[in-house]
Amino acid sequence: MRRLLAYTQQALSAPPRNPRMAVVIGRLLAIAFLLCFGTGLYSHFLQEPEPWMRFSTVPAQLYQVTQGIHIAAGIACFPLILGKLYTIYPQLFQTPPVKSPLHLLERASIALFVGASLVQITIGLLNTYQWYPWKFGFREVHWALSFVVIGSLAIHIAVKLPMIARFWTRNSEGTRELRGETAGGETSGETAPDAAAPVAESAPVGGITGRIFRWIDGAPSAEPAVSRRGFVTAVGVSTATVVALTAGQSFAALSPFNIFAPRVKGTGPNALPVNRTAKAAQVLDTAVSPDWALTISNGPRTVSLTRAELLALPQTTVELPISCVEGWSQMATWKGVRLRELLNKVGADTAQGLKLTSLEKKGGYRVTQMGPEYAFDASTLVALEVNGDTLDIDHGYPARMIAPGRPGVLQTKWLSKLEVEA
Amino acid sequence: MKITRVILIVIGLAGLFLGALIMVQKERPDQILGVIVWIGAAIIVHDGILSPLLLLLDVWMRRAGRRIPFGVLAIVQGGVVVGAIMSMLVLPEIYKKSIGTKNPTILPLDYGLNLALFWAAVALLTAAACAIYLRRRRASSPASSASID
Ligand code: HEM
Repeated sequence: MRRLLAYTQQALSAPPRNPRMAVVIGRLLAIAFLLCFGTGLYSHFLQEPEPWMRFSTVPAQLYQVTQGIHIAAGIACFPLILGKLYTIYPQLFQTPPVKSPLHLLERASIALFVGASLVQITIGLLNTYQWYPWKFGFREVHWALSFVVIGSLAIHIAVKLPMIARFWTRNSEGTRELRGETAGGETSGETAPDAAAPVAESAPVGGITGRIFRWIDGAPSAEPAVSRRGFVTAVGVSTATVVALTAGQSFAALSPFNIFAPRVKGTGPNALPVNRTAKAAQVLDTAVSPDWALTISNGPRTVSLTRAELLALPQTTVELPISCVEGWSQMATWKGVRLRELLNKVGADTAQGLKLTSLEKKGGYRVTQMGPEYAFDASTLVALEVNGDTLDIDHGYPARMIAPGRPGVLQTKWLSKLEVEA
Repeated sequence: MKITRVILIVIGLAGLFLGALIMVQKERPDQILGVIVWIGAAIIVHDGILSPLLLLLDVWMRRAGRRIPFGVLAIVQGGVVVGAIMSMLVLPEIYKKSIGTKNPTILPLDYGLNLALFWAAVALLTAAACAIYLRRRRASSPASSASID
């Protein structure tokens, strides 16, 4: 068994599979993970703020940028994590498999780190086209796993810190040793296994496995310098390519290159993509009912306004993006009544937040909160028109909220009630 | 270094604890089991299927490409890697589109066609890179034979 492991590890050795490469790719992956974590935390707290939290309403594209980065960096994680795992794969077959209880713990933590990271990025990706082939809640699990992933990243860095330092730069001690520039006898590289060398001289493995190993050994060996350069180039080009060909769903500058993203700017009713349709929200009848009126209340003070009455009030036009939690976003021209003018009618003061209720029958965003920083912002509208037309029913007819810098799920469609919170 | 490592371990353990806490607070036991199964499956798919396949592909290419300069082989392998990673991201989209999306603005493109065009572009660029590489190589060492580089 031990011999088999050692043989496998040796058969897997390749020039890019060395600790310097693991550090180079690992650094990039850590940056991508931290970008995802930071922007993910922001997205989470926008949706579930602690009572004391206030957010910036400028620039209006803030959430478009943070969530666009979340998805772009998240997609970049795919080539980066595969590249990183490529550099360390032979470690899987290290001999002896377990040296001590601490070593077992270390290996278990790596397994958790790898598995949780792969699941995190996979479910994140599938969520961007609303595909949930599992029975757990996406948002809850993605939220929980983000701490598992970042926690095990921290532990991983702590364990490997001496190694990381040895290979941090081109001229670090370990890197130079790897290039054969120093006399350092023992290669402490992770992927230069101590066990592999002696095994090569011992008796060959027989049977099918032996034949496979001979087949592998019989291949011309890779040229180290070309192979390493090729590896770094392939990971770099893959990362640039997957981002460049998808990030156009979030960033207008890249939209001409968007051939693979799940969303495309300018598609859909009112030239805007749709997250949740009126049919899915079960508002096909209530949204077009002649009895519809928007109720605004502040304690006992209540105003009720029909769509015609809302249209008769002073109208404001703003340019605001609709920026989905799923990463796509789209600039649009909205026309409607300033929310703060409606709030003034019921005597709300600028320290008070709002509770918004939609006509939706059910769903996590039927009732949501809005902090005063958004409610009293001059560009926050109860929108009645978009891009020069009446709101499409899929975009929230008869009236929807549009505020700067908030995720699309909080830009409540099919508004029914606005209640000032005490 | 010691202090840094201790701080990182403490942060790490706190993260793991918080993640586990959120998990048990928000998900039912059978859902948590589902997450664990996914994590196990992810490791098996990567370590047990994808990586060995990659090794076989690499060895096969090196054997088949014995007479080809290694630089050319490396460029071709690079092209295959770029195409394969893009395909990994796009094939699930093609499948999801085929079983239907929640509304027509989700996955609106012809992803199969785009992927085919993408592979064609990768092949073209790979061929061009090989041609440039071979020309440079010939220019720099007119005497060298094709099998050394
Ligand atoms: C290590 C990588 C990642 C980390 C640490 C991370 C972390 C997070 C966090 C903390 C949230 C907020 C969850 C919440 O609102 O409760 C989030 C949301 C989200 N993430 Fe990630 N993420 C990662 C990778 C990805 C990837 C690769 C994708 C997709 C390509 C993705 C897609 C999403 C989406 C669509 C949301 C919004 C969910 C919603 O609010 O409904 N994430 N992420």
